[in-house]
Amino acid sequence: MSKYLLTEDQRDCLQEITNVAMGQAGDRLARLLDVFVVLSIPHVSVLNPTDIAMTLHSLNREDSDNQVVHGVCQGFIGGGIAGEAMLIFNGTDFNDLASLLKYEKAGDEQAENELLMDTANVLNGACLKGLAEQLDSHFSFGPPMLLGQHCNIHDLLVGNNMKWNQALVVEINYAIENHQINCDLLLVIAEHSIAGLLQKLDYLLD
Amino acid sequence: MLKKAGDSIFNDVHWQMDILQNIDVGLVVLDEQYKVVVWNSFMQNHSGKMPEKVLNRSLFSVFPELSEDWFRHKAESVFVLQSATFTTWEQRPYLFRFPHYRPITGTAEHMYQNSTIIPLPNTKGEVTNICVIVYDVTDTAVNKIAQQIATEKLKNLSRTDHLTALYNRGYWEQRLIQEFKRFERYQSPCSLIMMDIDHFKRVNDNYGHPTGDEVIRQVSRAIREQVRDLDIPGRYGGEEFGIILTNTPSDGACVFAERLRQKIERMVVHFDGKDIHFTISLGVCTLNDSYKSYKEWLEKTDQGLYRSKEGGRNRYTFME
Repeated sequence: MSKYLLTEDQRDCLQEITNVAMGQAGDRLARLLDVFVVLSIPHVSVLNPTDIAMTLHSLNREDSDNQVVHGVCQGFIGGGIAGEAMLIFNGTDFNDLASLLKYEKAGDEQAENELLMDTANVLNGACLKGLAEQLDSHFSFGPPMLLGQHCNIHDLLVGNNMKWNQALVVEINYAIENHQINCDLLLVIAEHSIAGLLQKLDYLLD
Repeated sequence: MLKKAGDSIFNDVHWQMDILQNIDVGLVVLDEQYKVVVWNSFMQNHSGKMPEKVLNRSLFSVFPELSEDWFRHKAESVFVLQSATFTTWEQRPYLFRFPHYRPITGTAEHMYQNSTIIPLPNTKGEVTNICVIVYDVTDTAVNKIAQQIATEKLKNLSRTDHLTALYNRGYWEQRLIQEFKRFERYQSPCSLIMMDIDHFKRVNDNYGHPTGDEVIRQVSRAIREQVRDLDIPGRYGGEEFGIILTNTPSDGACVFAERLRQKIERMVVHFDGKDIHFTISLGVCTLNDSYKSYKEWLEKTDQGLYRSKEGGRNRYTFME
């Protein structure tokens, strides 16, 4: 399926540069948070709206371990590339998050939401800044949107909201040593925003 | 030629300064000690603080209400990660408390704000300054809050029976299913009462429907007065009611049923110059593992109600 969006070479190249970007992100996060961040090797795949819809569907519900799954989305655009970073928190302990960001304690629901957004912003910012540097460009970011709060998940799912057929998705798993924090970062770049990325990849491949 | 180029650069800078001064967005540049370096007109006008009172002073001394710990946390990630950070009105209504200024079309007490904090790297690429960009989102916030209140009202309306203000059958049954599932998972005791007003048809026939409605209303009030916070009372049908007693084993449920029965027996409804006495019959059933579905549980409780009717009414029957 991936052959419709990018070639094998382009895919390998993207995987490689995201890997380098992740290394830099890990370094920045370690300096900011004083923790060791375990980052998986990025996985590049091509998904369609149904796949994303399934992920959205699982949000704000309890998973098999009775942990509520949260999601935060943040748009980015620059250098002919545009997309959205979706950070999925699987079974995250709010007190752990609070201690990670050096807040006093988790507190009420508003404080919890703020924690989710701040964490997403920090992780997304670190990772996308690295990626932009590798691609020799600069991204602008929108504010993080807490799914289910800043926008209604049901509204996203109905009415064929996603107006694209295929999207390039880079998936990275974050775990933070000695903290009960585990999240998946999905960088979703829809087909119509991919040209700039392919151009940059071809340039790197030459 | 040279002079002209110089003019144009001068003009560009002049225009850019004008734009930054007059744009309807707050701009504050801070250095590493959080001292204010730039303070544009938006900030000046809304805060009522002139630049000479603000520039070169710590932001926290100028705005004591701004939580220093919280803001430093936010800003530190901008210095270290060199990437922007955001605050939204949903999490924090405002960064700076500015009173709302429009006397006619203003709808809130204070300005709701979103803000973005961006890094400003110097020529060596080090971030020595940050810029706080403040957006006025009062109109959006006020609309969204109004919408949330309306949605909440609609939700309550769609769950409520109009005559009795108890839950309607649809929502009550949903809650019954929920409690059944909760028992399957946590095994905390849960009891169900189904009840019905005795000879209600006679009340309607003898005194008319408005009187019948009043009787139903008074019974509902008695139920509402007796239930505890976590109990779930609903109007199941015409004169039939269901009450889910959460965290209540059989003996507690029987005490509840008997107390309600006595209360209704003593009750007199005065309506249209007449005094009406009436009674209720009840079925009580406590959930156990033998019930395979919520419907079985409901049917068993209903059987209790029928037995009370057959046994002469004005009583409760506990179903093992």
